[in-house]
Amino acid sequence: MLKYFTKRVLGIIPTLLCVLLFLFSLIYLLPGDPASIMLGPRATPTMVEALNKSLGLDQPVYVRLGHYVWDILHGDLGESVWSKHSVVNLLMSALPYTIALTLSSMGLAAFFGIIMGVLAATHEKTLIDHLITVLSLIAVSIPDFVAACLLMLIFAVRLRFFPVLGGGEEGNIGDQIRHLILPVIALTLGWLGYIARLVRDTTLEILDMDYIKVIKSFGAPMSYIAFKYALKNAIIPVVATIGLGVGKLLGGAVFVELIFNRPGIGKVITDAVFARDLPVVQGGVLIAALLFILANLVADLSYAYFDPRIQYE
Amino acid sequence: MPKNKVLIEISHRWDSYKIKSRLQIKKITQVIKVIRREPRGLIGASIIGIILLCALFSPLIAPFDPNEQDIANRFSVPSSEHLLGTDYIGRDILSRLIYGARAAAIVSICSVGIAVMIGVPLGAIAAYNGGIVDYVVILIFDVIRSFPSVIMILVLAAIFGPSLLNIILILAFTSFPAYGRVARAQTLCMKEEESILAAKSLGATTGRILLHHITPNILSPIIVLAGMDLAVMIMWESALSFLGLGLQPPAASWGIMLKQGYTYIETAPLMIIWPAIVLIITMLGCSLFAEVLRIALNPKERLPNE
Repeated sequence: MLKYFTKRVLGIIPTLLCVLLFLFSLIYLLPGDPASIMLGPRATPTMVEALNKSLGLDQPVYVRLGHYVWDILHGDLGESVWSKHSVVNLLMSALPYTIALTLSSMGLAAFFGIIMGVLAATHEKTLIDHLITVLSLIAVSIPDFVAACLLMLIFAVRLRFFPVLGGGEEGNIGDQIRHLILPVIALTLGWLGYIARLVRDTTLEILDMDYIKVIKSFGAPMSYIAFKYALKNAIIPVVATIGLGVGKLLGGAVFVELIFNRPGIGKVITDAVFARDLPVVQGGVLIAALLFILANLVADLSYAYFDPRIQYE
Repeated sequence: MPKNKVLIEISHRWDSYKIKSRLQIKKITQVIKVIRREPRGLIGASIIGIILLCALFSPLIAPFDPNEQDIANRFSVPSSEHLLGTDYIGRDILSRLIYGARAAAIVSICSVGIAVMIGVPLGAIAAYNGGIVDYVVILIFDVIRSFPSVIMILVLAAIFGPSLLNIILILAFTSFPAYGRVARAQTLCMKEEESILAAKSLGATTGRILLHHITPNILSPIIVLAGMDLAVMIMWESALSFLGLGLQPPAASWGIMLKQGYTYIETAPLMIIWPAIVLIITMLGCSLFAEVLRIALNPKERLPNE
């Protein structure tokens, strides 16, 4: 396990370096002079020069790359071109909203997805199975931004069950949870359907195995077998797709946060993208990429832990 | 071994290779059979077919010009004249949905096509050569995949600006590593085959082997992946247009229509509901189709009376 662990952890270093290099080169990908583009057409030459200086654009490339990496290693992501707030602070104040959103979606999807999947598998080819299959297929087919719009239309605008916009009053947990419900449902749907189908397929495969047949022949009831023996193995593929799920949910969070106007990372990045606030974009994308890489690493490691065969491949 | 015996051996292996590629064709006809037999496949295929028809013949099918405004008639409810009603400047929603199919089809087909064209050769070359080429190509794939695709697409769309060509290129750029990975894995198995050795010993160049002997044999999983990706790309086109980073108004795109509906969410719910329904049905059709495709290509899940 230790060998596999070191191999996987060291394996992300080249990827991390390339991610940094890509983010650093973003500024050169912008067509034209970056400072004047960020400031817009009404910028005076002195403003452009000042921004060039504060972004370090007047220095040679290798010095800048060195500074960039050095600053990041010291937890400094620069400051916003417009508001002059430190990017780290901006992102840190937004991060809890996004983490609350994605984690609760992930938990809900995993919980209900596993139950639905096991139920469908143990009742194969009955009404329950067909119902769950159809429901999960529909859930998978609704893009999260469409789900968000529809949920908002039905439950917030028409029925007025939930508040329409915002992340809730700061410090008021109840209000924040009320603001969280619709976004979480919008984000959960797709992933829930995916997990339900995945768990159904693996559980079916496991229920067909010899050791389950042996337990069955001892007279154990089906529900006992499913939740005591089959579930353990059915969870493995769910764990393996956590990395994928975090990527998908982080992506979905961008749309959901925008639609419900929640102050999360996705909203910070999109706002910065439209304002051409490059330091914020770079910082936000870095954080998102880090979360994604980390989630993939955790998923890989726990997969290897649950299924030791992986380590020897 | 005498020389002519070697030649006979080679020609035998050559024949086995030809039989193999014939098997591939048989597989495809088998897939079509399964799709025709399964009601889910039929439903999926007909939804996709209707959307393709709408995309191809939108000027003939649409009752109105998608950009024809009728301010006096704005926010009108469905009637015999405007089957699905009109939007905030009196444009016919049905016509705009039909033209939206065209944007969705162009973006998804072109971006998947380009992604396949870049990813498959890269993956095949990497696997065939191995060594440093393989390492570099895999690193490129890994870096692109280490960004959550939404954020990557968002940033690239913001940098290069919104236009039809840019969306297609960006979507192709973020999705080609998936094809590269599949092509690489398939080529790794394929290159150990005796038919490849036979071709090599007959003096075929690397390029010829890759193009004529490896590519045709690794295509079937790629086709499945591409089929599933079409739906994802349709979703992306709408999502980007929804954000304002895709097609720009007044173009007719499902994403733009949804966005405009979102603006009028308090007053005109139909402006959200219609594009949402069309998007969901499209995705559903693609999922059904992909599901049956998966069943058809996975012998373990073959239907009992196969």
